[in-house]
Amino acid sequence: MRRGFYFKLALSNIRKNAQTYVPYLLTGIASVMMYYIICSLSKNEDFMNMKGGAQMNWILQTGTVVVGFFAFIFLFYTNSFLIKRRKKELGLYNILGMEKRHIFKVLTYETLMIAAAAITLGIVGGLLFSKLVFLGMLRILSLQATFGFPVSLPSVRNTAILFAVIYTCTLLSNLRQIHLSKPVELLRGGRVGEREPKARFLVTILGLLSLGGGYWIAVTTENPMTMIMLFFVAVILVMIGTYCLFTSGSIAVLKGLRKKKTYYYKTQHFISVSGMMYRMKQNAVGLANICILSTAVLVMISSTVSLFIGIEDNVERRYPRDIMLNAYEKNNNDWDAVEATIDRELAKLGRSKSNEFHYDYLSMGARIKENEASLDLDQDDTLDDVWNLYFITPDSLKELTGDTVSLGENEVILYTGNGRYAPDTLKLLSREFQVREKREEVLPSDGDGGGIFKSLFVVISDRETMDSLYEEQQASGTEYTSEIRICHGVDIDGTSEEKLQAGENVSKALKDQGFSGYTDIREQNRINYLSLYGGLFFLGIFLGTLFLLATVLIIYYKQVSEGYEDKERFEIMQKVGLSRREVKRTIHSQILTVFFLPLLTAGIHIAFAFPAVKRILLAIGLANQTLLVLCTLGSFLVFAVFYIGIYSLTARVYDRIVRS
Amino acid sequence: MAMLEVNNLKKVYTTRFGGTRVQALSNVSFSVERGEYVAIMGESGSGKTTLLNILASLDKPTSGEVLLNGRSIVSLKEAEISAFRRDNLGFVFQDFNLLDTFSIKDNIFLPLVLSGKSYPEMAKRLAPIAKKLGIEEILEKYPYEVSGGQKQRTAVARALITEPQLVLADEPTGALDSRASDSLLRLFGQINEEGQTILMVTHSTKAASHAKRVLFIKDGEVFHQIYRGGQTAEAMYQKISDALTMMATGGERDA
Repeated sequence: MRRGFYFKLALSNIRKNAQTYVPYLLTGIASVMMYYIICSLSKNEDFMNMKGGAQMNWILQTGTVVVGFFAFIFLFYTNSFLIKRRKKELGLYNILGMEKRHIFKVLTYETLMIAAAAITLGIVGGLLFSKLVFLGMLRILSLQATFGFPVSLPSVRNTAILFAVIYTCTLLSNLRQIHLSKPVELLRGGRVGEREPKARFLVTILGLLSLGGGYWIAVTTENPMTMIMLFFVAVILVMIGTYCLFTSGSIAVLKGLRKKKTYYYKTQHFISVSGMMYRMKQNAVGLANICILSTAVLVMISSTVSLFIGIEDNVERRYPRDIMLNAYEKNNNDWDAVEATIDRELAKLGRSKSNEFHYDYLSMGARIKENEASLDLDQDDTLDDVWNLYFITPDSLKELTGDTVSLGENEVILYTGNGRYAPDTLKLLSREFQVREKREEVLPSDGDGGGIFKSLFVVISDRETMDSLYEEQQASGTEYTSEIRICHGVDIDGTSEEKLQAGENVSKALKDQGFSGYTDIREQNRINYLSLYGGLFFLGIFLGTLFLLATVLIIYYKQVSEGYEDKERFEIMQKVGLSRREVKRTIHSQILTVFFLPLLTAGIHIAFAFPAVKRILLAIGLANQTLLVLCTLGSFLVFAVFYIGIYSLTARVYDRIVRS
Repeated sequence: MAMLEVNNLKKVYTTRFGGTRVQALSNVSFSVERGEYVAIMGESGSGKTTLLNILASLDKPTSGEVLLNGRSIVSLKEAEISAFRRDNLGFVFQDFNLLDTFSIKDNIFLPLVLSGKSYPEMAKRLAPIAKKLGIEEILEKYPYEVSGGQKQRTAVARALITEPQLVLADEPTGALDSRASDSLLRLFGQINEEGQTILMVTHSTKAASHAKRVLFIKDGEVFHQIYRGGQTAEAMYQKISDALTMMATGGERDA
């Protein structure tokens, strides 16, 4: 009987607090679902054995950890919000004669019910949806699935254990809070922290400095490798800056406004300035969270989407032909025999070749200051001035582009590609070249990774110039010397599968005949890219959805708590002589400011992050900047529309609370 | 002419689905002259809060009229009500109704800021009031930093700063201890002496005994009234007690 009583009380508590508990339960279900899905994908063996499955698997496992960690923080945050709202109710039970252990019992039942519902429904939902997500993923990777998708028992077990632990932790933290407080404090629970916030100038300055520092790193770091290393430093600085400025900076600004009497004592400013100060104190951390989550969603989605869309581009640029051979000239490969082998292997499969090219070139890394190139590179170089120089002859240029040029000795044409080269001369070793023309396009060469270093294609007058450069380089005593290389490429007809098959056969035959050099098959690389970037793309969308969900929930809870707090103020202001409409207008304008501050700040963060993201993506091979700009703008717009949608939906909840 | 005239006021509350009807005021009529200090007494549920809400233009009566300086406040349009309230009425509530987000000073300024007064004028008006109410020291503090008595004096200052026609007080001593209550009641007496018209709703005999006239409301009607005349507060207290006893025991008019 007694047992039944506490159980019933717990059940009715949840029902009475439905307005806040239903979203909490839904969050739980969604978190469990997402965790199960990503966990089961990472454990799917068929998947692991596919081509490129290992990379995919690594990405998914990382994703699993991130999702689990995030679910933990997320549920904890929501729970702390709920328990804060309910302190008064629990204090009342205490005063009405329930001992603390009875309250513990009720809370335990409540948590049990919520946890059981969330885990069960979440796993069922996960089972249903994982098939769908799985098919979606195969589509992303352009693969055909021939196998089924079994229920992953280890994933069910892991999910259940993880979430049982998370819910236990929330329960323990609630019990601790109740245990430590007196009934009177519980009664007052919802109303603590009304003190006027202090503007801590030190914190504000710290915030400004770290935000500025983060932005500075993002904008000024030119070199992609340095950028990758510093990116996380920048992210952390921006996060610190965001938290500091939201908490202290906002208050400092508002206090400054309040000091200006002629500004402050005006109807519309008077109420909003003081109201905002109060709101910012209550909400600064939550808003900073929304801001950072939004930024994360946007960076993640825009970069993974551009990478994914950019795969084709990237593959075409790095591998201009279906089969690419690359070897040192001094290895003295018998190129006639190589060609014969290619023809023979293709003929066996009934394929034919086209667009064949064959050219020689000399590449060397150099540090360029002004117009002076030096081959003495050392580890301490900032890398920002380092270029890859590609020397090609007019014959090679003709092979590559079909252009015929004729150059005098020491006359060059530059293809500047992804770098900017301003001077009209170029000094290297004993030579000083006169630049006859600069062209901006990137040459379809053997591809240099196209990003980490700036590349400069130098068309020189003839092969003799190249030989003399080579010899001079060898004699210069520089540490990194390079060889003259030969690049040979052919296109093959047929489907992707047929091309892959032909490429593999050619590669094997060449190896058998003792060809000394690299063989790259474009289709093979395309698959590798797909599994890597496709995996990142999937993860980006997946985590983006999760973060978005978190944002929705935080906004919802903020609206609810704002509603309860504003209710009283709303009434007082009406009594003192502010009309209903005026009150509504001032409060709405405050709420709009509060909710759109994070979106705006996220927009600014994205704008400053853009150069950094651009360089990192360049380093991993995305040269198409227009694509990145479009993806970033696109994701921001979609996100903003979504955000406004959530806002107006939850604003109704707010209105209902204030009006009741 | 009377400053405030209340004629045949009636208020019926209907539950949401039109089922039960509760009559809060059945037929209330009285008038208040300029410079008067009137207390309205009655038990819980007698309709005094309903009456005050209608006088404050926070609620509309089912029938009857309320005239302030000959102008009907019942027929005011929604858009005019707030400005009317701001310019003509001052409020003192039981639970103070101060905003936590404002300092004491800004709380007092609130109605003036809403009326668009300039800062120098507000400051000029505040100085004598703050001095009179003894709250000069706490002007820069916040409501949660001061005592209940100080909060209520802040609320009085907020009511007076607009120089209203009428101050409406709803159980002003309800949340105060006896010392703070005494001091607040003396204050009310003093500002009334200076010419301020006050209408107070209370069920505290002591609070009512400071007024110049006491109206008793029972079952939604004005049941009885007592004038203080030249009597002391103590004698008034005794008369009010007697009247209350009579109402509670033998005075069932409709019985």
